[in-house]
Amino acid sequence: MELQDVSIDFGDGPLLKRVNLQIQSGESIVLIGPSGFGKSVVLKLFAGLLKPTGGQVLVEGHDLNALKPLQQALLLLKMGMLFQKNALFDSLSVGENIAFPLREKTSQSEEQIQERITFFLEAVGIPHARDLFPDEISGGMQKRLGIARALALNPQIVLYDDPTAGLDPITSRRIVELILQLRREQKSTIVAVTNDMARAYQLADRIVMVVDGELIVTGDKDQTLKHKDPRVAQFIRGALDGPLTETSA
Amino acid sequence: MTLPLFLWQSVRATFTAPYRWKDILIQLEFVSWQSLPVILFCLCFAAIVTIMESSFHMKLVVQNDALVPGFAALLILRELGAVVSALLLTSRVGAGLAAEVGSMKVTEQIDALRMLGIDPVRFLVVPRLIACTVGGFILSIIANLACLYAAMVVSEIKLGYSPGAFITGMRAFVDFQDLVFASIKGATFGAVIPLISCYFGFRCQSGAEGVGSATTNSVVASSVSIIVLDFVLTYIFSHFY
Repeated sequence: MELQDVSIDFGDGPLLKRVNLQIQSGESIVLIGPSGFGKSVVLKLFAGLLKPTGGQVLVEGHDLNALKPLQQALLLLKMGMLFQKNALFDSLSVGENIAFPLREKTSQSEEQIQERITFFLEAVGIPHARDLFPDEISGGMQKRLGIARALALNPQIVLYDDPTAGLDPITSRRIVELILQLRREQKSTIVAVTNDMARAYQLADRIVMVVDGELIVTGDKDQTLKHKDPRVAQFIRGALDGPLTETSA
Repeated sequence: MTLPLFLWQSVRATFTAPYRWKDILIQLEFVSWQSLPVILFCLCFAAIVTIMESSFHMKLVVQNDALVPGFAALLILRELGAVVSALLLTSRVGAGLAAEVGSMKVTEQIDALRMLGIDPVRFLVVPRLIACTVGGFILSIIANLACLYAAMVVSEIKLGYSPGAFITGMRAFVDFQDLVFASIKGATFGAVIPLISCYFGFRCQSGAEGVGSATTNSVVASSVSIIVLDFVLTYIFSHFY
């Protein structure tokens, strides 16, 4: 996947300014950065949910936004996404949320679909919640369900928007371990957004900071910790004084 | 998404397969069967008021209310039945649709559909558009007939006109064509409700306030559209009399 000179502007100044990023197949990239600087926007650009105002978003060598709707839909089927608010279908039960993409996009029999539901619910550790509705389960279980649904079609690329937001540290760690385990099993490419640095180090092959319309590729944990950019240093240490707080002040 | 683009996508998807028949039938049951009691209840009262007011004013002006059955039937078939039904549908179905689609937008469920390669317009709008159009057509026929029946009963009880006299008076003013035009109005108004409601749902801003605004705006816009369309259709139909 690749961003080539991508800019995006929602009308109040550019959020991203001619940014470039290449992600290799099988790589795990974590996007960090202050809130409101466009981490989720980068994810939605890769998902085709937002169109850049300039530049190209390439997935498997195809310009995602130049494709015809049918071709784009086929390409998107190779991706799964966990949304920030999980985006679970609240009128469907836990099991039906996983069954939905299988019923819509595969020709599997009902028996096979039920087997897949069982498999995914066990993989994410919530087999007991099969017949409950999303609003009847905890936040952590909703995240797990969101992950299960994102993986239901065995995507080659998985986008995680803040997979540990609002979860306690133990549940967060479990969720990230689950993501890594599923990545090993499915051999998928991961792009994740998080501001939890411990989880970012645990998850990332490379960390990318989104700030001031730029993408700063900081590298792995050690490279990030030693990065010379003062914005990166301030962000990962959570310092109150520095260029990030001067900008916002 | 602009309104013309949304309307174009909705209409195009409505006239091309595949159709989600199960969803269409569920929506049709919700729109027509579940709306029927409230529509019949309100229209029967509207019929009673129409008969009593017409009688009062005719007696006041021409000292005779013999024309009340025909006049009331004309008013019911040409305006009251279709318009009141549509306005009730707007508040019952349209508001719910805008809130439902708006909530789906805010909670990223619509983005989740897109990520699964599912066209949200085809998935959400088309079943509701077909159901509301068919439901509006059926409801306007049933509502008009029920309203006429209520008017006939009130005419007998309050004004002393027998059912035979009511029907004879009615036949002098209206014919089958009026019922056909009323049902066309019902179908048209029915189509307007999901189109406008879903449009506002798709444009919903985040938060509870956003969903509330989308719902309110959709009800206002649908009601205004129905009133304006009523004028347009009445004008067009006037050339056929």
